[in-house]
Amino acid sequence: MSLPGWLAPYDRDGAIAEAFGVFTRRHALHAAAAGVSAAAGVHGLAADAQAASSSDRGDVAVLNYALTLEYIQAAFYSEAERAGALRGPLAEQARVVGAHERAHVAAFRRVLGTQAVAAPRFDFRGTTEDADAFRKTAVAFEDLAVAAYKDQIPLLQQPAFLAAAVAIHSVEARHAAWIRRLAGVLPAAHAFDDPLPRAEVARLVASTRFVVSRPRTTGAGAPRLTG
Amino acid sequence: MHVLDRFDCSTPASAGALTRASFLRRVALGAGATSAVMVAVLGLPPRPAASTPSTQADEAILNFLLLLERVQAAFYAQARQAGALDGELRQFVDVVAEHERAHVEQLVEALGDAADPPPRVQLESATADAARVGATAVALEDLALASYNDQVPHLTPAGMRPALRVSSVEARHAAWARDLAGKVPAPLAADEPLSEDAVRAGLRAAGISVQEPP
Repeated sequence: MSLPGWLAPYDRDGAIAEAFGVFTRRHALHAAAAGVSAAAGVHGLAADAQAASSSDRGDVAVLNYALTLEYIQAAFYSEAERAGALRGPLAEQARVVGAHERAHVAAFRRVLGTQAVAAPRFDFRGTTEDADAFRKTAVAFEDLAVAAYKDQIPLLQQPAFLAAAVAIHSVEARHAAWIRRLAGVLPAAHAFDDPLPRAEVARLVASTRFVVSRPRTTGAGAPRLTG
Repeated sequence: MHVLDRFDCSTPASAGALTRASFLRRVALGAGATSAVMVAVLGLPPRPAASTPSTQADEAILNFLLLLERVQAAFYAQARQAGALDGELRQFVDVVAEHERAHVEQLVEALGDAADPPPRVQLESATADAARVGATAVALEDLALASYNDQVPHLTPAGMRPALRVSSVEARHAAWARDLAGKVPAPLAADEPLSEDAVRAGLRAAGISVQEPP
């Protein structure tokens, strides 16, 4: 599932890299040159440094990563619902699953408080306005979310976070099976689901070009879609 | 109402149903589908504090999960033999039967000498016709997933990774079975865990008798 390096240019302003905590030299230089230390304040990893212990710090990073994935999904389904191009069972799937993803965002934001990473701005490039494109994108997002959670869950230290992440992980798998059936592919294609490392997830998300700006905290750059 | 509906959180539970079912119903009916995850995320333990993860504790957990996989494997094997299935339900049973068999194999291999001997599973009329097969599949898959979600957080990281590779597949089975049965595939924003006792009660309620060798 790895993607070629030529996809990296699509990560405008390093938004994906920032949202996923993948620090690049370019990003570090850019941030330093622009003097935007404020940007670090909305970045999950920056908040980590203020956390009390190393295990808390690790958990905050994992939860912010999960929050970022939930932001993308919530915004995607919310926009699809608003666009109104879906009918019948597909519209029902978008309505129910969208509500779940928004609930996941709310839960993570609530528990992270001031340490929560802000929502990026999205451009779903027409995939929310066409049933076929919506189906394919939703299948990719849900399968990706399952694989991402599976990779991160064993890293969590606090039992309550572990239980919450496990409970969300299986809901993402239900979503995946649901949309796969609507897309005409096997809901459960394999006996075992594999995890996907964070860098791979970031590369795949970057390849979509859906994330068009890093999170901002002020005025004009406020998220257009927050789910 | 069929007893299996007690474990379907999208269906109102009958009076006297399990406390857990009542709780799920309350959540489903609008007490807030997110409350469960909120509770967990906000730091309240999902159940009384369990013992520290250890290899020994992993063996007990994995043996219970093995029991559930064996029950599922037995159910789907019998459903295939009984015939009388067609269309997508038949495809579902064929695909899922192979998955459960693979899960049993993996757990037996992982546990080695520590693996419990197979139980005697009596399915009564669970595979009598397509409707019963569909309803039993929904109950079994939701129960198996709820058990994985309950047990997985108590495993050591070494035990957790392989268990997570299976639990999401059980979730996919559950969603598929529910969709085929005309139920919402993902009824809640966060799946509720179920204790071992509640899962055993659920199996009995589904008409499945499990006798373990002494």
